[in-house]
Amino acid sequence: MTGHAMGRTPAAATLAAALLVALPASAQVDLGTEEQRAAGKVVYDKYCGQCHGDTGDGNGYATPRVRPKPRDFTTGKYKFRTTPNGMLPTDDDLRRIIEIGAPYTSMPGWPNLTSAEIQNVIYYIKSFSPDFENPDRYAEPIEIPRPLESTEESIARGRVLYEEQACGACHGEVGRGDGASAPTLVNDKGDPIRAADLTQRWTYRGGPTKEDIYRTFSTGLNGTPMPSYADSLEVEDRQHLVNYVYSLGDGDDPNYGTLITAVYSDEPIDLQDGESLDALFESAPMTRFPLVGQITEPGRNFFPPVTSIEAQAVYNRDEIAFRVRWHDLRADTSGRNNPNLEVPMWDEDNGIGGDAADDSGDSDDFFGDFGGEEVPAEDDFFGDSGDDFFGDGGDDFFGTAVAGAGGAEFSDAVALQFPASLAPTESPELKPYFLYGDAQNPVDLWFVNLTYGVADTFRGRGSDAIEPTEADIVEAVTSYDQGAWTVTYKRRRSSRAGVSFAEEQYTPVAFSVWDGFNRERGNKRALSSWFYVYTEPSVEQAVAGPVLRAALIVLVVELLVVFLVRRRARQKAADEQAEAASLTATEAPAV
Amino acid sequence: MWGLNLPVVLALAAIGGVLAWRRANTLVWLLYTGGALWAFFRFGFAVPIPQSVATIYLGITGLALVCYASSSRERLSETIQPIQRLILEPRYRLALAGLLVALPALAAYNVYADLTVPLEAPGFGREVHPPPPTEMTVHDETIDMATAENPYLHYKHDDPELYAEHLENGRRVYYENCFWCHGDGMGGDGMFAHGLNPVPSNFNDVGTLPILQSSFVQWRIAKGAPGLPASGTPWDSAMPAWEKFLTNEEMWDVNLFIYDFNGYEPRALGQH
Repeated sequence: MTGHAMGRTPAAATLAAALLVALPASAQVDLGTEEQRAAGKVVYDKYCGQCHGDTGDGNGYATPRVRPKPRDFTTGKYKFRTTPNGMLPTDDDLRRIIEIGAPYTSMPGWPNLTSAEIQNVIYYIKSFSPDFENPDRYAEPIEIPRPLESTEESIARGRVLYEEQACGACHGEVGRGDGASAPTLVNDKGDPIRAADLTQRWTYRGGPTKEDIYRTFSTGLNGTPMPSYADSLEVEDRQHLVNYVYSLGDGDDPNYGTLITAVYSDEPIDLQDGESLDALFESAPMTRFPLVGQITEPGRNFFPPVTSIEAQAVYNRDEIAFRVRWHDLRADTSGRNNPNLEVPMWDEDNGIGGDAADDSGDSDDFFGDFGGEEVPAEDDFFGDSGDDFFGDGGDDFFGTAVAGAGGAEFSDAVALQFPASLAPTESPELKPYFLYGDAQNPVDLWFVNLTYGVADTFRGRGSDAIEPTEADIVEAVTSYDQGAWTVTYKRRRSSRAGVSFAEEQYTPVAFSVWDGFNRERGNKRALSSWFYVYTEPSVEQAVAGPVLRAALIVLVVELLVVFLVRRRARQKAADEQAEAASLTATEAPAV
Repeated sequence: MWGLNLPVVLALAAIGGVLAWRRANTLVWLLYTGGALWAFFRFGFAVPIPQSVATIYLGITGLALVCYASSSRERLSETIQPIQRLILEPRYRLALAGLLVALPALAAYNVYADLTVPLEAPGFGREVHPPPPTEMTVHDETIDMATAENPYLHYKHDDPELYAEHLENGRRVYYENCFWCHGDGMGGDGMFAHGLNPVPSNFNDVGTLPILQSSFVQWRIAKGAPGLPASGTPWDSAMPAWEKFLTNEEMWDVNLFIYDFNGYEPRALGQH
């Protein structure tokens, strides 16, 4: 692709001349040569068209099953730019996203493409929208000043601005993306869109640095509810706001772990005593685990909004307690949910497209009407779903609410999953299938439907074989605070039916989270692979003893060697002396 | 280069060169050999080798060094004499005192480091390409794993237009189903890959598609993790059994597409 000539052919020269005549006085209009665009098309068709569509309209094969939706290049609207609100991006802006992608979206970075290939693709992408021929749509990039130091004053000033500008209306009071209007947000195509969780900087689509944040404030994200503050806030104020938003973050990196360390405590674990419970967990390390969509079994979840969960554990002589925490833009506590709920095939991608053929006749109507383009917000959609539960209330809700805002039907939920028994010693690698277990190796689920806030136990022998059990009593308390769910579980450490938590034991554990707002239920969930919980020894292992012992042993051996060598040398010297003496003695008479 | 950490290897070789040039005595050579091997195993590889392997090898070489040192009276005395001098001669008294302190300190540090090593989840090996069954049945069609080939591969030469249609269908299947894990560019780095263990296969890798028959790939697509033998740790793998979602033609088409996208050919029948 890079082999294509970069020079101008007559055709390209003519085009360029025509542009110059039609659109004078703009140095920024650079649409490349026909060869470059043709070379760009080759790259685009191989790497980009599957999502952005072969005609650039954002309607590729993957589109129905990804969220946020791929960019529609025919609109000329771009989120991540260094140019003022409403303007076209620079080539460098486009290049940046192609090179590094947008984290936690379906847009990956393309480090394998050469610089020339990327430039050609940029020319080709620009050809999808006539806006790029219009010099009035171009503007100089904004200036991004060096970030201010994050002093207490600066952060405090930023906080005032955050409140004044009502950032919390979407992003939430403490920035967890849980503002009052967060559930209603859509982009200008009517697709649902999420306010960024400001506490998880690694998920910022536009990048995690202070410069990135400043750029977003100053340019806005075209086509989304995120405005530009270039007109309403002075440069310095925007910098203070950057510092405040930055201070909300938990770090640049999620630091995903693989192990929960359960710490021992002498204290009783009382779920009803919030304060002492918090104090107990204060001493337990917190580990963050990645969650991804369940896309292995039917009822697939292609765009789970919850991308990680934090977990910790404490235990005492008789009981063990787990605490998990994750962010959710609102508490859905009115619907139903359990791991068994069936998810019709068409609901995998929220009825946006695909897979209708596998379903009953009614859903065909649905797809006939919508042609896979519009997000359904029509009564038909749910009327036909064959779901009794819905009734009239559901229709009303969806008739008036924003498309995709389906919180009322399904509640938020969470589950811990453990093997029903530990692996046999001869094959310690053996685990149950991480998707609800298998026939030979079942799992136990500690499931909490957050509508009720109590733990139900299920035994899973595969995704289609989950049954409630009563063997163990698992208690739970739940709370939702400013965008964060916290669920604390407690069970006796020993169990006759399920797994027991012995000291110094590694026990496999996996997580599931259901976001009712995303219509998640049953198999449509966010899940983790198997991780482990390690029950730390109750008696703290002293380090000083073994360390001193090792040093002492080595020292004794050393001294022994030195002593022996010296003694032998002394003996030898003595012997020699004696010999010499005896020689002298015997020889003396002869002298 | 060769999976080695070159600066470390070169530095070790350079020290050896200096010792040879200075005609170092037997004891110094023995210490150098042991120390250099330890450093080589610890720091000499770009990808760290398992501790257990290094321990076994160092144990064997340690024994060999003792054998070498005691293999003749001369060597033994060459080895021992410098130690005796260090212990006996008054001018080395300071060095001896230093050594008496340093060795226990080293031992203490080793024990400390062992005891305070951060806890890690236990890890287990798995077979990446476990042996397939001799035949499999997918949607009532029985496939002989040894002889089956992609039924649409021959269109590449016989009917390029039809071939292109199958490829396009494979492309559709891939981007409707596969890229979340295997990635847009098929590098095994899709948006869900970071949450999975084992990580999804990287189809760009020359050690994956080209060494596999298309029937093997078809087996992995159709039967997924549940079809793996225990050596492939089926309980951890997120690979779906695609026969639940796709027709035989769709699976052969996506099989065709992933080879074509990466410019690879399936391993031919009977080729080893």
